[in-house]
Amino acid sequence: MTRFILREAGKLGLGLLGAVLLAAAIAALSDPRAGGGLWRFLVAWGRTLDGVVHLDFGASAMTGAPALQMLAQRLPLTLGLVAEGFVVALLVGIPIGVLFGAGPARRAAAPLVQVVSAAPIFVAGLALAFLAANVLHWPVPSGQGTPSALMLMPNDAHALQALLLPVLTVGLAGAAAAQLALRRAGAASAHQTWRAQLRRMGLPAWEIETVYGVPEIFAGLLSSLGEVMLALFSAAAVAEWVFNYAGAADLFVKSVALHDWAVAAPVLLAFAGLTMIADFIGRCAAAPLLATGAPP
Amino acid sequence: MTPRTTPLHAALVITGWIGLGLIAVAVSLAEFIASAPPSATNIGPLLAPPSSDFHFGTDILGRDMLSETLHGLSATVRSALPAMVVALIAGTLFGFVAARLPRGLALTVRSIVGILASLPALLLAILAIGLSTRDWATVAAGLSAAPLTFTRAFDRARLQERSSHAEYARATGISSATLLRRDLVYEFTDTILSSAARALAAVTIILSTVSFLGFGAVPPHRDLGLMIAAAKPYFLHAWWVAAFPALALTTLILFARLAAGLDEGERA
Repeated sequence: MTRFILREAGKLGLGLLGAVLLAAAIAALSDPRAGGGLWRFLVAWGRTLDGVVHLDFGASAMTGAPALQMLAQRLPLTLGLVAEGFVVALLVGIPIGVLFGAGPARRAAAPLVQVVSAAPIFVAGLALAFLAANVLHWPVPSGQGTPSALMLMPNDAHALQALLLPVLTVGLAGAAAAQLALRRAGAASAHQTWRAQLRRMGLPAWEIETVYGVPEIFAGLLSSLGEVMLALFSAAAVAEWVFNYAGAADLFVKSVALHDWAVAAPVLLAFAGLTMIADFIGRCAAAPLLATGAPP
Repeated sequence: MTPRTTPLHAALVITGWIGLGLIAVAVSLAEFIASAPPSATNIGPLLAPPSSDFHFGTDILGRDMLSETLHGLSATVRSALPAMVVALIAGTLFGFVAARLPRGLALTVRSIVGILASLPALLLAILAIGLSTRDWATVAAGLSAAPLTFTRAFDRARLQERSSHAEYARATGISSATLLRRDLVYEFTDTILSSAARALAAVTIILSTVSFLGFGAVPPHRDLGLMIAAAKPYFLHAWWVAAFPALALTTLILFARLAAGLDEGERA
């Protein structure tokens, strides 16, 4: 177990190092001395890397503010959206994964799940906004203009309504990933040879499922935590744009559009780092379940 | 994922290919089927709802939404096809070949691509377009979809390399190059159609989303993503301006997913 965690930690360290190198290369583009040949770029990259190691990505070309300060202002909103979306993903994804994991229920729900899976996130977000505005008569923040503030802990009905749409958009994208991970793990567990052996030993079906099956399926979900986070971050980028909220993903989109590389780089690093860490945590948490779940 | 060969699965795959075939016909004949040229304004009243004159209604500039949706679908498919080829070459083919490199080099390449795979493909595409120009959006979409297909192809090829048939082949003196060539032929004849359809679904999602965010198609050449983005300020009151392009886009992705034999909810 310790060896497994050390190996995974090594992979995480290498991944984070690669992400830092990539982010420094992107941030180096904001250095006016980086142009005019490969050698000049490499020198600028080295200089930026030194800054990145000291948590200095430089200043925004647009506002002049330190890039990290801008990220620190915007990241909490994205993390809040992702965290609340994660809760929705589990609340929706786990029951769907369990209910429609196999048998007639899966066959009945398959066409609907296929259609929902085919809709890009921005289409799903706009459909939710339309339903909220026209069926529930909620005020929907859409259209162009100054990004609005979003209260992650709403204190009245209006704030809750404003929060629900982006959270649901992010959450449904995460739910799709979570239910898939569950169903994949369920299908793999159903084909394990030890099930038949345990039945021959006289163990009742409920005991096989609860003692051996459930931990294995849950471990499958945990192993896919990185995949779920990837879906959540991707959805957060779109949700912030659709509902006009000033989060880190929105900052990334705008900074790339304006070629403000000093700002785009730390946002990318934050997203990659968080996904890798989630993947690491998921794998490490799944390992003991797999070790204890499977019968000897 | 274990391959499924149930009659239902086979029927869904065939349905997907038939659907893609119909879309290909519609795209090829878009100029003839559409009653108005692309982006032609004042064809009808502004924001008219669907009627017998304008089956999909009109938008805020009086453009016929049926014609616009057809032209938008055509633009989306025309940019998605080269992006799909890029994703297949940079993802599947490169992943398969990289897995046969010497172990240390292969794992280094796998780790580098793994870093890119830990970023949302959408953000990668936006970054690639920002580093180049919007003219390169198709290549950027293909490249950003590639890390995921690369890792899938790489892992599959590593399994093949360690399989018993590879061991027997090596034991009988067949060279690594011959083995690679043979496995490549089998790999591509077996999976090229499903890999292409999977890549088509993935790049269509990326391309339409980057267009929606303002990094893809440039007006007056509108694809479905840009059409939906343009409808965003007033779709709450005029649903048809966003609904029909969204329906066309979802249908294209759905058929590509079915043709690829993707599981419900599975990532393209």
